[in-house]
Amino acid sequence: MSSQITLTSSDGVDISVDRTVAERSILIKNMLEDLGDSGEAIPIPNVNEAVLKKVIEWCEHHKNDPVTATDDDDNRRKTTDIDEWDQKFMQVDQEMLFEIILAANYLDIKALLDVGCKTVANMIKGKSPEEIRKTFNIQNDFTPEEEDQIRRENEWAEE
Amino acid sequence: MDSSGHPSSATTSHTQHIAENGEKADANRLPLGSTSDSLNELAKQNVAPFLAKYHPRQYAPRRAEDGTTTVPRTTNAGYCYRHQPDSKCSRQADEQSMQQLQRELETLPQSDQQGIAHVWSLFSAAPAKQRKLMLQGILAQCCFPQLSFISASVRELIRIDFLTALPPELSFKILRYLDTASLCRAAQVSHRWKALADDDVVWHRMCEQHIRRKCNKCGWGLPLLDRKRLREAKREIELRATNWGSQPVNTIVDGAPNGTCSVVELPLGGKRKIEVEDDQSCAMIKRHCVSPAYKPEPDDDYFKTRYRPWKDVYRDRFVVGLNWKHRRCSVKVFRGHTDSVMCLQFEDNILMTGSYDATVKIWDMETGEELRTLRGHTAGVRCLQFDDTKLITGSLDRSIRVWNWRTGECISRYNGHSEAVIALHFDATLLASASVDRTVKIWNFKDKSMFVLAHPEGVNAVKIDTPSRTVLTACDDGAARLWDLDTKTCIRVFQNHIGAVQQVIPLPREIEFESHLADCEIDHVSTSSQNGESASMLSPTLEHRSLGIHPSSSGASFEQESGRLDPPRYIMTSGVDATIRLWETNTGRCLRTFFGHLEGIWALSADTLRIASGGMDRMVKIWDPRIPTCQDTYEGHSAAVNCIGLSDSRFITGGDDYQVRMYDFRA
Repeated sequence: MSSQITLTSSDGVDISVDRTVAERSILIKNMLEDLGDSGEAIPIPNVNEAVLKKVIEWCEHHKNDPVTATDDDDNRRKTTDIDEWDQKFMQVDQEMLFEIILAANYLDIKALLDVGCKTVANMIKGKSPEEIRKTFNIQNDFTPEEEDQIRRENEWAEE
Repeated sequence: MDSSGHPSSATTSHTQHIAENGEKADANRLPLGSTSDSLNELAKQNVAPFLAKYHPRQYAPRRAEDGTTTVPRTTNAGYCYRHQPDSKCSRQADEQSMQQLQRELETLPQSDQQGIAHVWSLFSAAPAKQRKLMLQGILAQCCFPQLSFISASVRELIRIDFLTALPPELSFKILRYLDTASLCRAAQVSHRWKALADDDVVWHRMCEQHIRRKCNKCGWGLPLLDRKRLREAKREIELRATNWGSQPVNTIVDGAPNGTCSVVELPLGGKRKIEVEDDQSCAMIKRHCVSPAYKPEPDDDYFKTRYRPWKDVYRDRFVVGLNWKHRRCSVKVFRGHTDSVMCLQFEDNILMTGSYDATVKIWDMETGEELRTLRGHTAGVRCLQFDDTKLITGSLDRSIRVWNWRTGECISRYNGHSEAVIALHFDATLLASASVDRTVKIWNFKDKSMFVLAHPEGVNAVKIDTPSRTVLTACDDGAARLWDLDTKTCIRVFQNHIGAVQQVIPLPREIEFESHLADCEIDHVSTSSQNGESASMLSPTLEHRSLGIHPSSSGASFEQESGRLDPPRYIMTSGVDATIRLWETNTGRCLRTFFGHLEGIWALSADTLRIASGGMDRMVKIWDPRIPTCQDTYEGHSAAVNCIGLSDSRFITGGDDYQVRMYDFRA
């Protein structure tokens, strides 16, 4: 049962994809369940072609993963380990990463959203505030006094 | 320049015009300066209509004739992070590069400036699709050095302030993946980052992960905070994550120091008679639950304790955890007993000690002051336990006494044992007492009934477990036993110690072993593979393995009886053989033996984070039940350590040197 469905990206490009792959997206899955497969293209108004293709690539690779219904509740293991394929997959520029996170959130693909957020977390981890600012091009909007005070407030965490 | 790659097939007439203009200028190869007039002419013809079409706000200002400025149109702002009007962070960076561009532009002849400005403004006015086409055209014309320049510049330019640009719930999701140190550094990045990284949404989660349990990720736990309260706050926190930023945080109403809406409630009078310690201050209630009759005092300090951000809660526990790790503690000695100190208990700020001098002393732990001495027993006090209202003591004089410790009055006295009472434990309506007379007696306060659990030899320790209606005992015959209080029979014997078992304690039910031990096992495998097979010969490895097995939880003796839990899954014992042992209750197997003490171990205490033991060798040792080796050793007593009390932030010992010593790990 590998029926194909068509998705239309925000910039009007039709992409055909296995239904099982597309159903990694809970949004699409629910839509197909609610509306039935009419054979018409499903518009994905928030995701452009480049990002949608990338997301489909991920879904393709992970199509056989068990669907984890675990909520965010799973606080036992909050490690930022990312499997190798996903790590490679996430080696994209920040704009694409940003769009993937938004798309995964919109399309409701939890595992992809997790990987995206972990990737950003790993970009923050172990960096000094200044290094973080550099990484994400952030303006330091603290006054020197504020900065000094906030540094002292957070000193306890530095072992 | 070859223009074959040019998008001459451009769909809109505007771009086509531009392309044609480019070709003309190219073909004629006229010096730019001399064409300035014609360029201006061309610009008027071709550029202006394009700009007017896509940028009406700027280039057709006559529309705002009535004096009101037109509502800013955001033709392009909608899709782009970089040019979002509210992403201030990147704007400044853009400004700098713009200034530099301006300076460079000014070095060129006027007419070139004009031309370049036109190109830029065309691009600037164009919608996404047209921009993409223009770029494709430019890229197609680029030589490798220019492409290389682009690729280097682009890397620098695509930097996104994720936490600011993403919806708050996604930003929180990212932050929740961070460790303590990274979170605290994230809070120093910018105002926006600070607001997010300091938020209760994040730190409540951190508290959940670490308080009263060992985090699998970082291997240490924060103690103390009641996890039930943590759970109670959970829903509120989840709501907060969803609604974050959609409503202004009101700093004035709740008086929280940093404007968070976490409400930490100190119990107001009532049940808690003993002075409130830090854990009580962590209780969370919803703000609107505060009784309307209650009027806050105009005292800053008061609010600081009343409303505590979860980050502060976490920090306090973190510091205590670090202090344990680095052995940073203050030591206080309580002197006053005139013979060996045999038993003790502390709650909040109250410490009680029982001694062979036949007295019980009550101490203020903060000041070290002796509050009261209870006299009445005619021989040494071997065991004691107190709660809010009563104190029960057992003595070498064979009696059990019940006291109102607040007044010092002895309320009642039981003479049920024919020999010294060595241990006692009460919970709810039951009191268990253990004696040299080879019995454990179970007294029911409610119906005044009593029954006996007979042992082959003297009994040294007893612990009731109310949820499972069982009792644990430690006996001189070298065995610990688990008894069913309903059937009054022994249902499990734990036999492995050589010589008398001195202590038996259940490990807290919420202790989490398996996942951690599974990790250990993985570590073990990886190290043993380096050493070849010989490593698997080591008995610790085997003990490790046995811990990894998940016994069926119904393997205990109880069928599914309503309201009755299984006995505690793990118990610990200590004995005169200088070992501590960890047992699996439902199989009776000894899972691990802890070596390190040199002589008999009289005292044993445990919580979810650690085990403390003390004995003849005058040492106190701290253990992690997950790790076979001793974590820390504290010396200080000049004679045997007889008893030990343990809390998240301190331990207290009593010894044959008549001293009581408190090791305090709070900041």
